[in-house]
Formats: sequence, structure tokens, C-alpha cells
Amino acid sequence: MLRFWPIWVLLLGGLFYWGMQRPNPNELKSVLVGKPAPSFSLPLLEPYRAQYGPEMGIGEGLDKPVLLNIWASWCIPCRTEAPLLERFHQQYKDQVLILGVNVQDKEAEALKFVQQYGLTFPSVYDGRGRIGIEYGYYGVPETFVIDRNGTVLARHAGELSEAQLKGYLRQVLQ
Amino acid sequence: MRGWGTGDRGVGLLARFLALGLWLWALSLAQPTPNTPPPDFSPRVFEIAGELRCPVCQGESAAESNAGIAVEMRRIIAEQLAQGKTEAEIRQFFVERYGDWILYEPPARGLTLWVWLSPLIGLGLLGYGLWRYLARVRARVQAPIADVSEEEIARLEAELQTPERKS
Repeated sequence: MLRFWPIWVLLLGGLFYWGMQRPNPNELKSVLVGKPAPSFSLPLLEPYRAQYGPEMGIGEGLDKPVLLNIWASWCIPCRTEAPLLERFHQQYKDQVLILGVNVQDKEAEALKFVQQYGLTFPSVYDGRGRIGIEYGYYGVPETFVIDRNGTVLARHAGELSEAQLKGYLRQVLQ
Repeated sequence: MRGWGTGDRGVGLLARFLALGLWLWALSLAQPTPNTPPPDFSPRVFEIAGELRCPVCQGESAAESNAGIAVEMRRIIAEQLAQGKTEAEIRQFFVERYGDWILYEPPARGLTLWVWLSPLIGLGLLGYGLWRYLARVRARVQAPIADVSEEEIARLEAELQTPERKS
């Protein structure tokens, strides 16, 4: 058996190389990518009811692509992400709907957050985070990119950078 | 009341000690017993949650964690049990949303199958190696006997029958 040592070295080396090539274990892939986004309808936070009605969510027949952003007022990365989302909402609101889902939070705290950052894109309230579980979320913030047909194109776990957000917009507006 | 020779002060002290004891006992009762599920969910909920990962935790199951998402997962399990769903159906509910990752014991298929099979493959290879080694050792033991030519055997036999040997 030892006569074949070059083959053993090659085999072990190949196994090692293959192991190193595996995708990053910290990258959280969503099983939802390529599948229809779970539909829901939740009560909107009070400041948005006048413009959007009592409830909002994902259902059949979206009139534009959606960036579903799951957030909470106690989440520090959400605080840096919120002004960026607001800026993009102002810029692209005719082409894309940014829909916030406030999870695992107190409504009063969520309202304070919305007021503090002057968020004009709508956010629904999901105190227990059940919709988060429907979407298989790991934590906040998390963003799901949903196309016009209601198919999930991507999931972004963690804070979005401007470049990443632009990339997702490009992907969804194609 | 003075019969015990301690007086009223003694009785007062005793009463105070009793009160302190009672207070400490009551405090011990107020402590939650560790590792028992809260009364709002049945132990079966925790049994199922124990097989599922808590998505926001490191190395904690949905039964152990007190993170909001784990509490909600336990609530979903309790609701689905009340609806008469089986354990497999409840597990499937979470797999459909999180993938096999959510299970502490992933099913034996795909890449995971190799993880399950590798000890067997290792044992097989070890057995094969051992068998090959023993076969070679046995062959080495038997080889010298076979390698002796007939001429040499005849010479040996002749030598063995020399007069010195016979005597």
C-alpha cells in the first residue's frame, strides 16, 4: 500500500483543497431563495396608517419589487442602517417598496425609533417575530429581496452597506 | 411564661429566629427549580425544541435559550401540538424555513451521508489493511519452506542420517 504513496498524498491533498473550497460556514443561505416569499399581512405602525391603510404585507400581485427589512429598535446595526434605507426610499420609492418589519420589540420603542430617524418607508409591527420565523430569520437586521412576481431573490443577514443595497436594487430592477 | 428561665426576651428572640427561618424557607421556595420547563408549556414542547437549534444562539437549542426567537419557536411547537400535528410534521415546518441546519441531528443524505458513513468506511479500510498485513506475515512464515529446493532437502536428510546423529 505504501508503494502508492504519491496517490495517497494526492488524495489527501485533494480532500484538503476541497475542504478549503467549501462555502463560508458563516454565510447564512436561505432556503427561500428562488421560492415564493411567504405571504402575510400585519398591522402597520401608527404613523403609516394614514397613507398605506391599517395593514400591509406580502401577498399575491405585488405592484413593484420589495426589500423586506426586518429590524428592531434595540438592534445597534439597525440604527446605522435606518438612515441609509430612508435615503434609498426617497430616491427609489417609485420603483421599489422598502417594507420594514419590526420584530421582538415594544411598539412604543419602535415608534420612538421611527420618529428619531424620520423613517417614511412603511413598517409593520410583529412583536413576537413570527413572520421572522416564517422567513427563517437568524436575527436583526435582515433583508429579503423579493421580485415583482413575489419570488425571493436574495437574503442579506446583517447590516447593509450602500454598495450592497445598490447591488440588490440593480438585481431587482433588471 | 418565665418557667424556662429565659424570660420574655428569650421568647422574643426565639420568635424572631422562627420568623427569620420562615422567611428564608419562603425565599427558597420562590427560587425557580433549575432545568424544569416553565408551567406554560408541556415537557413535550421542550423535548421537540431540544432537537432544534436556536437560530440566534451559539450552541444552544430552542429549548435552552431564552432569546425571543426561541420562546416564539416553543410557542409555535405548543400551538402545532395542540392542532394535533406530529413531531415529524413540526420538525418539517422548521426545516422548510431554515433547512436541515436547524436540526441537531441532520438526516443521512447528501454530504451528511458521508459523515454518517465515514466511521464504517474507516473500519472497512482498517480491516482490509490488517488482513493484507496478516496475509503477508503468513506468507513470509511459509515462504522459506517452499523455497528450499529438493536437492537441498536431500542433502539435509543425508546429513541427518550421519553415524554421529544415529548414535
